[in-house]
Amino acid sequence: MAAGPYGALLDAVRGVRWPARRPVPGGVPGAHQARSRGIAPEFAEYRPYRQGDDPRRIDWKLLARSDKAFIRLAPDHATLGTTFIVDASASMAFAGKWVLAKRLVVALAAVAHASADPVGLVIAGPTRVGRVPPRARGGVIAEIARTLDAVSPGESQPLAALVHGSAARCVVVTDALCDLDPLRVALVRHRARGGEAHLLHVVAREELEPWAEPRLVVDPEDERIERPLVPATVHEYRARFDAWRAEVATRMRREGLAYQEVCDDAAVDAVVRRVVSPVGVEGGR
Amino acid sequence: MSFLAPLTLVAGVLAAAAAVVLHLLTTQRPPRAVLPTTRFVPVSDARAVARSSRPTDLLLLASRVLAALLLGAAFAQPVRDASGPAVRSVVMLDRSATVADAAAAARMAGERLTRGGVLVVFDTTARELTADEIAAASVTRAPHAAPGILSAAFLAGTRAGRRVARGADSVRLVLVSPLAEEEFDAATSALRAEWPGGVELVRLPAQTDSARGVPVRLVSALADDPLAPALARLSLARGAHAVRIVRAVPAGTDSAWAMEAGHVLVHWPTPGAQQSLADGVTAFGLRAATMVAPLVRLPIGTPIPTPSTAPSRVIARWRDGAAAATESALGAGCVRSVGVGIPLAGDLTLRAPFEHFLAAMVEPCGGALGRAVSDSVAQRLAGGAQAASARRLAAGASADPALAALLLAFAFAALAGEWFLRRRRSA
Repeated sequence: MAAGPYGALLDAVRGVRWPARRPVPGGVPGAHQARSRGIAPEFAEYRPYRQGDDPRRIDWKLLARSDKAFIRLAPDHATLGTTFIVDASASMAFAGKWVLAKRLVVALAAVAHASADPVGLVIAGPTRVGRVPPRARGGVIAEIARTLDAVSPGESQPLAALVHGSAARCVVVTDALCDLDPLRVALVRHRARGGEAHLLHVVAREELEPWAEPRLVVDPEDERIERPLVPATVHEYRARFDAWRAEVATRMRREGLAYQEVCDDAAVDAVVRRVVSPVGVEGGR
Repeated sequence: MSFLAPLTLVAGVLAAAAAVVLHLLTTQRPPRAVLPTTRFVPVSDARAVARSSRPTDLLLLASRVLAALLLGAAFAQPVRDASGPAVRSVVMLDRSATVADAAAAARMAGERLTRGGVLVVFDTTARELTADEIAAASVTRAPHAAPGILSAAFLAGTRAGRRVARGADSVRLVLVSPLAEEEFDAATSALRAEWPGGVELVRLPAQTDSARGVPVRLVSALADDPLAPALARLSLARGAHAVRIVRAVPAGTDSAWAMEAGHVLVHWPTPGAQQSLADGVTAFGLRAATMVAPLVRLPIGTPIPTPSTAPSRVIARWRDGAAAATESALGAGCVRSVGVGIPLAGDLTLRAPFEHFLAAMVEPCGGALGRAVSDSVAQRLAGGAQAASARRLAAGASADPALAALLLAFAFAALAGEWFLRRRRSA
């Protein structure tokens, strides 16, 4: 793909691999360990021959020594499809959240695609214009980038419904200000079906440390909600926001979901390495 | 301009300062900003109070500050400060009949009148002279015929002193007067006490026509006329016959004598055999003298024909208001008719009330002019020579109602402007 605004980022994550958390279903040969056993040169184990097995897989030398027929098994590898579900609600347009989301998706898609995994994209935006089916062909990363760049955050769409049709690895990039419980349930079900579920929680620095000057803040998704953010209320605001984020992280991790909170001023390549790390995935931040 | 109630002005200034602070702490809505996490901000009034470095709505603020200051000034009892030196003088000039040399008195008063001072002339009334009147030598005009009243002088002088005290450090009160006895009354000491400083006294020569020392001749057919011992106690010196008391019908020689200047002919008949009754009579002389005793009411009338145009005045009245003695002018002198019959027996004429009554009857024509008071009385009246503090004088001054009304009108105008601006802004 053309370097464009993502060139430096893609260079920074080159060589990074994103292994599956657990064996993936067998299928197209790929980089992830599959649940099935294949005929690869690496030895894994023997199994007694059963009627119907391919006679070519019998270990003849062992048969000669033991007079018993065994089948020689080897570990199998398969690809893992990855679908990025990006929240394009109006709140994502705040500060650098949308830019961060785009860069995260492009970088992670490039990492997944480097393992020959098919990657796809669904943008939960006003018109769902950004849908890229999971593909492993070359150029899909550029297509994903173009699709993301063509979208401006606006009216929100429910994310939970999009999880059901996603690939085995589902990565949701959102600021979690949507209806979070249905999304959590959908991700848990996805994981129960054998898939991987990632939630990347995007926050802006201004949300963590609001302005010192008094402001009348307005919710971009409901302009009827306007409240004064003044020195008298900012302390309680921060306490509430911190408590809510801690609760979200706890609930997501308790359900076995891979949860990451990402600030918009963070280095994206470092975030990518945290996300793809098995420790990072299991342990969260 | 100064203020008699400066605390009210301070309150106005505080109110103006509060208006400025409120404009700094305006309820102006703070600038809007989008924040996706607005839901975590505590619910409160969206019109949050915001502080700004510069006051908002400068015109509105100016009108409010102006109204507060003007209201404070209007209710702080404003007074106009007079221009002039730090020490000013109020000169009270006696222009009554007690002054022997009115021109000399006016000259002395003028010498003590400083720039920015006030000249108060008094006789039976007191009034301030304007600069034009002083320049027109109004102070040297003919003096009043009656004795002056110091109470009126102190009243006007104190009022003038409080007025000229505004803008001055101190005020000196000068009294140019002979300080005759009849110029004092019961209110004099109280009104003098109203002046917080001393009074500089310039004593003038007084008219010396006291009853004491005036020779009195008694013409009576009675060998033991009861008036004789009383007159002996009254007259301290005998000389020319200035007063003649005739107990019978006056003769022609008496009439001729009475027509001369300074002569007083008193027709005081005896009661004869008439029965005396307990009664009261008051004589209006230099001092009012009231006598309650067994007396005989005699008819009063002028035994000597006098010109019909000659003024006649009552110099004594019975307790029921009837005239007891009258005085009529005759030539350059006068004739008195006394209708108070004195019992021939008894010691009434030796008592003090009768002595006072008799003194009133033998006063010169038109009334007596008393003696000058003693130095001790004068010193007590002066009470020192220090000038009065302007601050103490201002404490008893009265506000300038016209100035207060003007300030109040401006304040209401400012309030109207504030209302107009507020209405236009909300429209």
